[in-house]
Amino acid sequence: MIVHFINKNTAQKQQRKSMILLCIVLLLNAGVLNAAEVIVSANVVGQLKDTHKLQAIFSLRTLYWPNGEKIKVFVLPDNSAVHKEFVKEKLGMFPHQLRRTWNRMTYTGTGQPPITVDSVAEMLDKIQHTDNAIGYIDRRVEDESIHYFNAP
Amino acid sequence: MNRFITLMPRNILYFVCLLSGSVCAQEINAESVIGAPTQEGNKLWEGVKKTWRDDIQFHGFLSQGLFSSSGNNIYGQSKDSVSADSTEIGLNVSYQAFNNLSFAVQGLYRRAGANTGDAGEVTLDFGFVDLNLLNLSDGRIGVRGGRIKNPWGLYNETRDVAFTHPTILLPLAYFERSRTLFLALDGGQLYADYNTSMGDFSFKFNYGWANADDKELLTAIINDPTASGYLESDPSFVTQLSYEILGGEYVFALSYAELNMRYQAKNIGDPYAQLDADIKSFIISAQYNGEKISFTGEYSLQWNEFTDIRFGVPDNSPVSEHWYVQAGYRLLDNLQATLRYDSTVQDKNDRYGKGVEAATGGMVPGHLMYAQDIVFGLRWDITPAWMIRAEYHRMHGATTISLLENPDFSKIVKNWNIYALQVAFRF
Repeated sequence: MIVHFINKNTAQKQQRKSMILLCIVLLLNAGVLNAAEVIVSANVVGQLKDTHKLQAIFSLRTLYWPNGEKIKVFVLPDNSAVHKEFVKEKLGMFPHQLRRTWNRMTYTGTGQPPITVDSVAEMLDKIQHTDNAIGYIDRRVEDESIHYFNAP
Repeated sequence: MNRFITLMPRNILYFVCLLSGSVCAQEINAESVIGAPTQEGNKLWEGVKKTWRDDIQFHGFLSQGLFSSSGNNIYGQSKDSVSADSTEIGLNVSYQAFNNLSFAVQGLYRRAGANTGDAGEVTLDFGFVDLNLLNLSDGRIGVRGGRIKNPWGLYNETRDVAFTHPTILLPLAYFERSRTLFLALDGGQLYADYNTSMGDFSFKFNYGWANADDKELLTAIINDPTASGYLESDPSFVTQLSYEILGGEYVFALSYAELNMRYQAKNIGDPYAQLDADIKSFIISAQYNGEKISFTGEYSLQWNEFTDIRFGVPDNSPVSEHWYVQAGYRLLDNLQATLRYDSTVQDKNDRYGKGVEAATGGMVPGHLMYAQDIVFGLRWDITPAWMIRAEYHRMHGATTISLLENPDFSKIVKNWNIYALQVAFRF
């Protein structure tokens, strides 16, 4: 009886463990689904793949695609949660650092800042219908009309 | 019952997991629908695309300040009152004509107390053509010709854009009265950027003619508001080398300026006819921009060569020293507190202005030759476009005041306070 009880207890513990693991995996998946993804226009797919270049592109230090065309950068507003997450996770920066760089260029005339769009939907629309563009959306969506920066 | 209790949390966990999964799935579906616009939408977009020029951009800014002070006036009649005589409105347009050729121009309307008068003044802030000579994946070299902002310290290039600096009043090194002189040069700029895995280097060299015709500057040099002539620029240059690590988390810069001026007399027998003023100045800058915390420090020495000033300054080649340390803390993403200690002396060899006071028989008070300022400010970025901020300055010394607003030397107060409020907009 005692042995049976212990066995039952262990089994329950194991069951609970596996369920917690399952939940963690599910939650992690949800996290991955919600991670910002960098997207590009169809005509520049695969032009650049090095994620280290992303910081230079969004800081407007790298201005041209390898094909010689000017990079058109689209961003969401500074206070958007997706923007904040993108800047932190994909660029390893803080939004106020980017804003500092963009402001200096904008108000000294030495560069044009990225174009700000109001929503993820508008971002998708702009990137799909503009050549040489780069932007980001809030999560990976499998859709053949959406091209990812690090696509094969 | 026991079994029920152990099952409950398990079921809740399952439920939460399932729910989070289904919410994600739902959002993806919605996104996919939005991501594939209808045929009609596509047609409309094509039409818009044809008429839209994305190579032209318009931007601007606006700010309005309110100042109240004890002891001395700042930006108008602020002493024991409130002055709204501080307004800045800027509008710029930039045009990327070709991949290596662009144009940019900015107009500025500015009202800054007695210096600009009640009506304010409109100036061409910058206006130049930018020719990119060499473009590599890790850098670029180019030239600009026209009126170009001077890269001096961290804030000079965008000193009139409220959003680009943490406090309403800039650190004392960015003297209000030498603003016009330091602002821009009419001539050319050579620029070079080089990006490495260790950080990004940026070099700028401006050569040309400054706008030296500023009553405030002239008055500060000769301590005489009645002079009838004006200052004119000789060839000058301003240069900066900056180094940024981790996309601007750490910023270091060294700037050097040589600004040369001559006095142009209007009347025969003008006592200042032979006046010549040359300013050589460097400023070393360091900044840390963390997620929550930021630190900034700048140190500047300025060699002033004033020849043939009639009276007022015993040493005609004073060395001025300016420095400050500043800490910022983001209480929230859009709410930032700033604390700064700031110091400036007009003459390192006469830190408390005793020499000037003695030489002028007490007419020019010693505290007109230095200032120390403790600043506390709070900035709230309501939206990316709107910002409001407030700050308090405890001033010891008065070297930064406008002599046009405080014409009676005998009434200039040594220890005083400034309270300021500002609302700003940008697009």
